[in-house]
Amino acid sequence: MKVKFSVLPLLALVMMALPIIPQALAQETAPAPTITLDKTSLANGGEITVSGQAPAGAQVYVEVYAADKKVRANRFDGKKDPKTGKIPYKFYLTHEMPAFYKIFVPKDMQPELDTAKAAGGGWKYSEVLKKTGADAAYSEPAKIKIDSYQATIMASILGSRGKLLDAMDEKATKSESMKLVKGRFRSVNNLLGANVETTPEGVYTAKMKLRSGLAPGKYNVIVTAVTARAMDGDKETVKKVKSEVASFENKQTFPTVYLGNAGTSINLIWPFLLTLAISIFGVLMGAGGGFILNPILVSIFPALPHTIVAGTVMPTVLFSQGSGIYNYSKIKFINWKLGIGVGCAMLVGGFIGPKLTELITLDQFKFAFGWILLVLAGLMYWQTTPGYLEKNKKEQAILKEFKKRAEEAAAKGNS
Amino acid sequence: MKVDFWGHEFEVNMWIGCLGGFLIAIMSSMFGFGGGPFMVPLMTVALGLPMYIVVGSSLLAIFFNTAMGTVRHMQFGNFDLLLFLAMFPAALLGGYFGPQIAKRLSPVVVKRVACVGLVLLGLKLLGLY
Repeated sequence: MKVKFSVLPLLALVMMALPIIPQALAQETAPAPTITLDKTSLANGGEITVSGQAPAGAQVYVEVYAADKKVRANRFDGKKDPKTGKIPYKFYLTHEMPAFYKIFVPKDMQPELDTAKAAGGGWKYSEVLKKTGADAAYSEPAKIKIDSYQATIMASILGSRGKLLDAMDEKATKSESMKLVKGRFRSVNNLLGANVETTPEGVYTAKMKLRSGLAPGKYNVIVTAVTARAMDGDKETVKKVKSEVASFENKQTFPTVYLGNAGTSINLIWPFLLTLAISIFGVLMGAGGGFILNPILVSIFPALPHTIVAGTVMPTVLFSQGSGIYNYSKIKFINWKLGIGVGCAMLVGGFIGPKLTELITLDQFKFAFGWILLVLAGLMYWQTTPGYLEKNKKEQAILKEFKKRAEEAAAKGNS
Repeated sequence: MKVDFWGHEFEVNMWIGCLGGFLIAIMSSMFGFGGGPFMVPLMTVALGLPMYIVVGSSLLAIFFNTAMGTVRHMQFGNFDLLLFLAMFPAALLGGYFGPQIAKRLSPVVVKRVACVGLVLLGLKLLGLY
């Protein structure tokens, strides 16, 4: 009795597997490509060559990604859906985006990449993947976990991301992951390179250049060889074989450090010198340096996300403001009623603002900041006009007089 | 609202002050700067207050915004400790050397230079060159 029962499910399993086996066999007909890397490590970027043997006549794609460094990527969908005419107001967020991701495609596809580059910032990653056939190799980011939120205007004002929606299915995740990848790495050159050379016998080589300042740690390389593509109506079936994973290490030494939240490496000396110069200039102008430091940082370190720049510069000025308040309060030069009254309104504004930083893209950030700076330049210019200077002279004289009195009073109070 | 300062009394329209402060706070915390260069004109021009009451009090108001913005940015994971550690000492040094250099320069010239710099930077961000 006992034996009989255990055999039955086994039999059912074998029967279920029968129709699958021939399919699996058919896909395995082409041998998997071999893969060799000429180096095991790079020192903060450099060139590494991947080569091997793929089935003759196959198209070879090389997928490279940072294996142990993950970063955050997010996207706010506030564009009208052309089909429904509604704005989705959805916020997508992942913490599992590889800190580096690039697909190398066959050399003859360079024209496709050039077309995409010509389209500027509005290029579509998924379209280029399809045109170059690289979607067959696109696999690592398709596996990331993406949270989607239904954002509402009210929730944004309250500073929440909105309601967490149910997890997306595999297909939706893949399609959204492409948008997140594009939002994160932005340019065609960052994501795609056309330098895989293949001989008619299927021997392939690709010289991969990694720029300095990328994430350190382990990088994985996988080769996908597409042996056949067949169009079945709208649907394309792709026959492909994948190589094993090869790895190399990207090494970095101080003062170049990896910024975990920013997902990029940076030589710390540069932000130090920049901040020093700008904060001195800020004092000369009579203003904090934040509004110059931010745009310069996002301009010269394109790999630094604007959210990180805004979120890190703010605490930097916190302390100088605090010491300024302390110095003014010593000579009783602060009206607490006025400062706290307006401060309460600013507290609410400061609660909302950082939420909005996430919702905009770098280009929108730059655009808005550009206008802010122009307005600021106008204000600065106004402060150098003769009328203002005349008035300011009197004000400064009174200010000096009051300061003197305040200091005397403070000295008296102490003694 | 009436405000007392060193024996002088000023009438302040808190509605304008709060609304302006609120909007400046959203903008400055969103883009990660202090907001002083906007706050001072708001208080002197829109509220009609003299400079000597504005300098300290506007700094206090901005401090609320910066503190809140810092907390919120940290909540959203926008803060990077290493980058902060590189910039923070530089900001302190700048705050120390800045006033000493300021004594030797004409503020009008500095502001004109800043004006040109800001226009160039602004146009660059707008992608105009």
